[in-house]
Amino acid sequence: MFGNTGKIVWVDLDESAAQIRTLPDSYYTRFIGGAGLAAKIFWDFGDFHAAPLSPQALLIFMNGPFAGLKLSGCSRSAVAGRSPLTGHWGDSSCGGHFAPELRYAGFDGIVLEGKSKFPCVLFVEDGLVQILPAGDMWGAGVFDTTDTLRKQFGKKSRSLVIGPAGENLVNYACIINEGHHAFGRAGYGAVMGSKNLKAIIVKSSEPRYLAADPESLDALRRELDSRIRNSVTSQVFHENGTAANLEGAVHMGDVPIRNFTSSFWEEMAEALTGSTLSESYLTNKGACAFCKIACKRVVEVKEGPFAIPKGPGPEYETIAAFGSMLGSMDLAATCKAGRLCNDLGIDTITAGSTIAWGMEAYEKSAICANDTDGIVLTWGDLDTVVKTILPDIAYKKGKLGKLLGLGSFQASATLANDSWQWLTISKGMEAPMHDPRGGGHGLALTYAISHRGACHTANPMLFMEMGACYYPEIGFEYELEPMSSENKPESALLAVQIGAIENSSCFCQFADREITIPEWVQLFNYSAGYGWGLEDMMSAGLRVFYLQRLLNYRFGLRASDDDISSRLIEPAVDGAPEGIEIDFNSMKRRFYELANLDETLGIPDHRTLESLGMNDEANLVWS
Amino acid sequence: MEYWKDQHEPIIAFLKLFDKAKQDQELFEGLKKVNQLIWFDYTEDGPDCSFYVDCRNGQVTSQQGKPSEEPDLVMSLSADDAHRSWSNKLNPVMAITRKKIRVKGSATGLLKLAPKLKKVALIYEQALNELNFSEKILK
Ligand code: SF4
Repeated sequence: MFGNTGKIVWVDLDESAAQIRTLPDSYYTRFIGGAGLAAKIFWDFGDFHAAPLSPQALLIFMNGPFAGLKLSGCSRSAVAGRSPLTGHWGDSSCGGHFAPELRYAGFDGIVLEGKSKFPCVLFVEDGLVQILPAGDMWGAGVFDTTDTLRKQFGKKSRSLVIGPAGENLVNYACIINEGHHAFGRAGYGAVMGSKNLKAIIVKSSEPRYLAADPESLDALRRELDSRIRNSVTSQVFHENGTAANLEGAVHMGDVPIRNFTSSFWEEMAEALTGSTLSESYLTNKGACAFCKIACKRVVEVKEGPFAIPKGPGPEYETIAAFGSMLGSMDLAATCKAGRLCNDLGIDTITAGSTIAWGMEAYEKSAICANDTDGIVLTWGDLDTVVKTILPDIAYKKGKLGKLLGLGSFQASATLANDSWQWLTISKGMEAPMHDPRGGGHGLALTYAISHRGACHTANPMLFMEMGACYYPEIGFEYELEPMSSENKPESALLAVQIGAIENSSCFCQFADREITIPEWVQLFNYSAGYGWGLEDMMSAGLRVFYLQRLLNYRFGLRASDDDISSRLIEPAVDGAPEGIEIDFNSMKRRFYELANLDETLGIPDHRTLESLGMNDEANLVWS
Repeated sequence: MEYWKDQHEPIIAFLKLFDKAKQDQELFEGLKKVNQLIWFDYTEDGPDCSFYVDCRNGQVTSQQGKPSEEPDLVMSLSADDAHRSWSNKLNPVMAITRKKIRVKGSATGLLKLAPKLKKVALIYEQALNELNFSEKILK
């Protein structure tokens, strides 16, 4: 096998045992790798009745075929399983340094099942797999644990670590690589915690990558790397991080303010934008393995209530989630909150959104002092967020920590009052920091149809509406107007295929905009030898999109679940999108027609599945 | 060219735009923050069809032609697309993606101007009116 190794580590934590399993070639050519391959593995081996935090639940880490290549943007990997936050199928993507190391160690992925009898760590070194006691690391923060692991397993080892939030089964606990890069969304840190697994460490003796056509691959890799490095977007991200255009985005109405109640706040725009971060707190630029864009930030806040030593800094989502979303324009506070979330192992998007929802609910008396042990939730009060709320969430401490630790959707259901009106979710997952009303109406559609819930990285709709995509070979030549529904369903159908290709090959969306569709095909063929034509690749993307829907169908989701909170589509009260309606229902109806989805069940018809060679899957769901 | 009768017309219009923009306090402050020497290169429409703006050191000056110093940023496009762009009728991200605008150097400074494009378009319209180029105004 080329590119991929064809091998995965299958760990039964009940038995403290691991075996090396081989996957058939067809799994790769049909489901690509990463998120797609994880979906296929769950389809074949997962227990659909197992609760997300039960020992029977599978947790699947999966590389794409490019992991290990020295190419900007291709060092990401996927984790997938049934999400404790949403209760259905989900996945999450993480950059950093884990993916290439796992590939060099000889594996495409790691599947975990069972629950260890003792807190443990999993160590994979070349062909060797060991389950070792976590010792004092259990209970420690992510930073200390990462340091300890580096001392124990050597500087060249790479780790995935959970913090106290994962150990305490917080629904949106995340998994962190090298203290900086996160499998942020959907709560897989809690799944690791439920298995008594504190960390996974990988180490390889040499960087091996066996390409199908090494010469052609090397030429293509050099060409793409140079183009990616020199693109305008890359340079902007390199200089000022992913928040580089926050100021412009505020003027578009893309940046959510105070739980999406406002779409414009000029003063905040300059205070939180990427260039302000660079001028005020940036000490270094950081990068995932082999990435020349280096969009990550290393920051130091020297003084003040939110002082932090030099270390991982916030990216756009964190800045908005703990800034504008909470009614704050204190950039130092977002640095501190982001750092704390990394150490506690909490997803910053769901945390910020859930706290924002809590602040609005408190303001409107749907949450009262009795629900919070007297803690007052006030817009802009980052001091309380940092000192009290985030630690309470991670340790499930007090009434407020327990409530907010559920995530906004489950918390609102617990309260059983009208606080659901202020949710900003789809399928139980909080929307990221892009407001569809200003950012683009197509986003409302793709948030709703995304398998894991409201998500801007499931597919490139955000970039398409921005104007950053041009794929004439597959018919994407639309000049989209963000604040309109015109051509959005048609674009969404292409977006879900490209998104599935990106997330299954585990390519960074900031980097891969420079890759043309024919070059994508070449990249798969030269590296992994998939032998694809353009149609094969697009079909694989569609197959993955459908399989993810079929998984959700088996978890009980239907067409009515492809929905979005009214807050995210009601006319904005200010800013660029003020008063503009989003025609969500028409977009969804048209998308369903284009994608051949059953309007009640939400899954593709039998014939469509058959046309993609998904006969077994079709027979199972349509029998 | 769709909008211009010769290579000089667009430069007259664009220099007028920058002259007027400098008079506007908000745009002047915005331009100073760009802090770069930018060459707007429309030479695909004629050898003299270009101008530069120097926003460095707290000053803003603009002049026809290529700057004698190495620019921090070069924006190459057609004079027609420049007209659409200053009229806020061209999505700059889309234009870059589709290679209608070619960028060399750091565009970070220009992002500072992105929120002001609506205002720039208004001032451009005034500039066109003052130059008796009203028929060129894009609606
Ligand atoms: S662009 Fe940023 S997130 Fe993407 S691979 Fe590079 S460093 Fe990582």
